[in-house]
Amino acid sequence: MSEEKMIPNAAVGSSPENAFKGPETDRRGFLSWLSVGWLAYLGVTGGFFTIIVRFLFPNVLFEPPQTFKIGYPEDFSKNSVDIKYKKSYNAWIVRDEESIFALSTVCTHLGCTPNWLPVESKFKCPCHGSGFRMTGIHFEGPAPRPLERFKISLANDGQILVDKTKSYKWEKGEWENPESFLKV
Amino acid sequence: MLETFKHTVDYLSSPTISFSILTVVTPILFPPTDWFDKINRKLGFYLLWTKTGCAVALSVITFFFAVGYMDKNFSVILMKGDNFPIVLMVYSIFFFTWLGMHKAYINDERLEKGLKPSEYNDPDDKVLVWPDLVYIEFIALILFTVFLVVWSILVAAPLEEPANPAATPNPSKAPWYFLGLQEMLVYYDPWIAGIVLPLFCIIGLMAIPYMDINKKGDGYYSFKERRVGIFIFMYGWIVLWLFLIVLGTFFRGPNWNFYGPFEYWDAHKVVALNNVNLSEYFWVKLLGTGLPENIILREIIGFITVGIYLFILPIILAKTWLKDMLEAYGPVRFVSLMLFGLVMLSLPLKMYFRWIFNLKYFIAIPEYFFNI
Amino acid sequence: MAEKKNKKSILQTLGESQVWKSIIRSGVPHTRRQRMHAILGSVFLHLHPARLPKHAVKVGYTWCMGGLSFFLFVNLTITGILLMFYYRPTVEYAYTDIIDLTEQVPLGIMRELHRWAAHAMVLVVWLHMLRVFMTGSYKPPREFNWGVGVLLMTMTMFLSFTGYLLPWDQLAIWAVTVGSNMARAHPFIGHEGPGASLLAIGDINLVHIGSDVRFALIGGRFVGEATLLRFYVIHCIAVPFIMMIFMAVHFWRIRKDGGISGPL
Repeated sequence: MSEEKMIPNAAVGSSPENAFKGPETDRRGFLSWLSVGWLAYLGVTGGFFTIIVRFLFPNVLFEPPQTFKIGYPEDFSKNSVDIKYKKSYNAWIVRDEESIFALSTVCTHLGCTPNWLPVESKFKCPCHGSGFRMTGIHFEGPAPRPLERFKISLANDGQILVDKTKSYKWEKGEWENPESFLKV
Repeated sequence: MLETFKHTVDYLSSPTISFSILTVVTPILFPPTDWFDKINRKLGFYLLWTKTGCAVALSVITFFFAVGYMDKNFSVILMKGDNFPIVLMVYSIFFFTWLGMHKAYINDERLEKGLKPSEYNDPDDKVLVWPDLVYIEFIALILFTVFLVVWSILVAAPLEEPANPAATPNPSKAPWYFLGLQEMLVYYDPWIAGIVLPLFCIIGLMAIPYMDINKKGDGYYSFKERRVGIFIFMYGWIVLWLFLIVLGTFFRGPNWNFYGPFEYWDAHKVVALNNVNLSEYFWVKLLGTGLPENIILREIIGFITVGIYLFILPIILAKTWLKDMLEAYGPVRFVSLMLFGLVMLSLPLKMYFRWIFNLKYFIAIPEYFFNI
Repeated sequence: MAEKKNKKSILQTLGESQVWKSIIRSGVPHTRRQRMHAILGSVFLHLHPARLPKHAVKVGYTWCMGGLSFFLFVNLTITGILLMFYYRPTVEYAYTDIIDLTEQVPLGIMRELHRWAAHAMVLVVWLHMLRVFMTGSYKPPREFNWGVGVLLMTMTMFLSFTGYLLPWDQLAIWAVTVGSNMARAHPFIGHEGPGASLLAIGDINLVHIGSDVRFALIGGRFVGEATLLRFYVIHCIAVPFIMMIFMAVHFWRIRKDGGISGPL
């Protein structure tokens, strides 16, 4: 139809005798090739940026071991909080009337480390004043949920084994899970 | 005498009182409407923008800090190296706000008389950058360098004990320019206080030129022509940002409890803080039943409240009180103004709900970290 | 006699020498024309126009805050480069290197200069924003440049924040712990943000502590060795690099948008 008109007048070789005679590409074909080109471009660019984002996450982390032994159940007296492992492993070992469990020392608000106040029998976070009871349940301040508990079990040699790679959240009902505490 | 002063300051600086005072004073200092302007004139607030007002205010600030440096409790806070910028901030923010307003008042008077603003000069009468401006810049540069060197010699950069991931200092504070954010964290969940509000703050600031359709006051200091805009900016900037920084620096002590500036930081101060969610208010206290199992049903009141505040309220306002505004600004500008305005206003609102009703969250879904 | 007539001051001789003229193209500016040429002919000074309306050179109008922000940026770059000679961003050395900077290095106030200039820059940038707002200088045609300015302010604060960690003392680690923990609250991309737990395939969470945006920022599950290195790189290279691009746009747009604002 109007294919001839598409050739600009001033284009090189625009005279009818030696007009550019490439493989026939009509407008529609050109457009679909164009979109394929753009899609390929977007795909490659997107993939490249994905790889850059992936670059930020290394395959191996050089952080302290996440599993550790803390001694025998008898080492812990009833209704007490053991702060021995706070510094080395970021965990409190709490023993109440019937069980032993390992609480994470990371405040659920913004990740500060609360302090155990034996007199008031609570964990108090110095950053924004969140308070947690001995069980880890939050009761004051801005913390949105209780402290997390770590997986705890008895090793073959009778010692208690704490595994920090697995944590249990109260609000999801995971504290019922038998791995989250140790019956004594 | 001095003791009474200290006790009064301690009492007044409690967040509930000081924040309320500032909230009331700001619209009178920067009156957005004729009504506030009348109160301003009656109470003589405009006198603050005169030279005498500046001198008086600066002496009051100086007196406050002088007493502070001599007080055994407040001096501990003031002597911390990183807190010196706050003192500097209080002085400079006041002085430059004063300077801006002082010049604005002069221009307002000139404009009323039909004169051009004082910045106006004959466009053909230009000065050469070399030497006029280059020399001013050179002098400013030298003076500022001298100031920095003297500051560096006098105040050592703070360095505490080596980092210890197991021992959180009490209180733990962010860098001072983020203390406003840290203060917001007391009232809002991290995803709102740490992500949504700062993002709205940045985008809102960037959107100012597109939302402000007032063509007047471009290129000279003025107040009357742009009073609503200036009031909103000043409330957000001074009360919701700078004051919260001062609050976080001077008035927050161990366990992030409130302490008056002259009060001793007693780490064992017991403050009852039992916060209750809206859902608990509704289901447990009002209806006397337990919380429903279904999360959506449990938080339905919160969803309705937030929904009404953010989505229904602008529509109601557009139909009634702000009808003219909608017409003048057009729908897109109006919606964005409402959105940014209401989000900004949600901070003081939540603060008051916390203080008065111990309200923790409107919507509390800790299962999905969705708390508002 | 002739000798006396042609006697020039040293300055004059210097100003007319080939070397001087080759460096400063206009020679010593005496006439109005030469003075304008002094601005236009210098790559640094031609940031300014050659002539300005009178109010624009008054400190009372500009408060000099924009210029001081730029000056502080240059100042911080220079002191920062000097500090990098002695500082190693590792948990083992960072803290002791900072102590050595005050005790073992001559001119022991370099760190102070850097730190206080950083604090001052935050303040000066805020005051610059106040001035621009109070004079209504963000109004058309300068809307875009105000936006660039807001981003520059945000970057200033982020620069200051990343630098805060480097001394590796208690102040640093906890300020950054509190600050970077906000990152885990990002909706969907932070592991404690709303909606993150919905992004899961069966039992496996896609967004967890080892794969969220906070991890990308601090390079670990808690603030540690990797964080120090990441913040060091962000502080010394990444953000200043981006900031310089934005500053170029900011300055260029001042001229393109009709120079400094003023009454019509």
